Amino acid sequence: MATLATEHVSVSYPGQRLAALADVSLTIGADDLAVAIGPSGCGKTTLLNLLAGFIRPNRGRVLFDGQPVTAPGADRAVVFQHGALLPWLNVRDNVAFGLRLQGVERVARRARADEVLELVDLPQAAGRAIWQLSGGQKQRVGIARALASQSRVLLMDEPFGALDAFTREQMQELLLKVWAQSRRSVFLITHDIDEALFLATRLYLMSPGPGRIVEEVQPGFSQRYRAGESARAIKSDPRFIALREHLLDTLFRLRRQEEAA
Amino acid sequence: MNPLDTTFEAAPAPSPEELPDSTDQAAPRLTPARLRVLSLLAFVGLWWLLAHSGKIPPLFLPGPEAVLAKLGVLATVGFMDATLWQHLGASLARILLGLALAVLIGIPLGVLMGRVDVARALLDPLVEAWRPVPPLAYLPLIVIWFGIGELSKVILITLQILAAVLIATAHGVRHVSPERLRAAESLGASRRQLLWHVVLPEALPDIVTGIRIGLGTGWSTLVAAELVAATRGLGFMVQSAAQFLATDVVVLGILVIALVAFALELGLRALQQHLAPWALHKN
Repeated sequence: MATLATEHVSVSYPGQRLAALADVSLTIGADDLAVAIGPSGCGKTTLLNLLAGFIRPNRGRVLFDGQPVTAPGADRAVVFQHGALLPWLNVRDNVAFGLRLQGVERVARRARADEVLELVDLPQAAGRAIWQLSGGQKQRVGIARALASQSRVLLMDEPFGALDAFTREQMQELLLKVWAQSRRSVFLITHDIDEALFLATRLYLMSPGPGRIVEEVQPGFSQRYRAGESARAIKSDPRFIALREHLLDTLFRLRRQEEAA
Repeated sequence: MNPLDTTFEAAPAPSPEELPDSTDQAAPRLTPARLRVLSLLAFVGLWWLLAHSGKIPPLFLPGPEAVLAKLGVLATVGFMDATLWQHLGASLARILLGLALAVLIGIPLGVLMGRVDVARALLDPLVEAWRPVPPLAYLPLIVIWFGIGELSKVILITLQILAAVLIATAHGVRHVSPERLRAAESLGASRRQLLWHVVLPEALPDIVTGIRIGLGTGWSTLVAAELVAATRGLGFMVQSAAQFLATDVVVLGILVIALVAFALELGLRALQQHLAPWALHKN
């Protein structure tokens, strides 16, 4: 069972009065699709960078299966907003890149890449160049690359933030399918409340000044999607809308308090 | 096999100007490609007219056909104990040796400057101070140190190409996308793997651009250096032909020098497209 957790972590950047993150504790379980959401400056990117091991906390600890995280590692693959793909490799070799770094031999890693491309509905593009792909296809390749390696957690940095609304909906459904089939835990950050509510098994609402978690919710809509309900039906469900308004209300209330202070 | 598999290797689509013009065969249109040919033909025509106007003696301006005839003589009999090919070969050998040395030194040093802040801080002022100095200004010093033989010319060329390769490599390496580096790190890349699988491939288009610029300036420097001191080479050929007032050889030499520069540029552009086709598609 893979669990990724932070214990009372704080991060401050030099020259900034308020901490980017103050005393944040969370636990991402093996079956979780955890989503952090909040306005810019709330520290969600800092949180993801901590979990990935790109940065280290000033206080507190980041633990993966009980072991302290001190550096990036192949067990925690990151998916970036713009894909961060390698344009000198074709789609298949991009997906197989992590395996190549591990020294997996060519035939085996290509077979594995084709398998994962199938999973993200992109098998026909294996031989294509990166610059021939659309934005949504690039994100699929980024996800496939993270899945092909032996990563156990996917850390997704606003993965659908640069996509148009229609592609974004498709990618959300694809992510739920991949998450269910690949048995990885996922930590995703976004600034889209509908996206967060639809995807999350655990939702962390974050607020700036200093960056912190202000509310934790377990929406449960992704489980309903997996049980067969359609995405649009879920997103227009009164309970979905009520929860969305509640979260927005909380954020606006906090902002008013902050401005008054 | 997926037919799309081949598209990555395939040459980029020809630009519209290179596509055959199928619209109107009776009246050929003035496409940019045709205008280029026209411009060259007009130049040769003007040259021919001037040379045959009777106002300019052949000693000052031999006609194009006389220069072309001289090509046959130079290619077989030669000039100053060497055929045109031997002169050309001597010049090419110098510049290729200089290029090889510059690449061998420049790329590792450029990577070091691009990746290590201390190395950059130490080397940058030296490179920036030395780069704008015209090479012929320090050629005399090189001749004092290394004599007038092959060595000094190769050193001069190497220094000239090295400056361009070094600066371009350092720039390319420094501007590698931090997201790509992080993506590779999160897939378990070691420092060494980052260098081989991310940094160098991403810097490659910049490195080739540096080589292109270096070869261009290196070629002009070489020919100028051969004018000063050499016993073989295109620059030497032109210089000694001028002393014997063999104007046709001078003109022919200049044309060959221009053609080689043009061929080097085209060859490197083709190499760049072959090595880094993705660089043409910015995203």
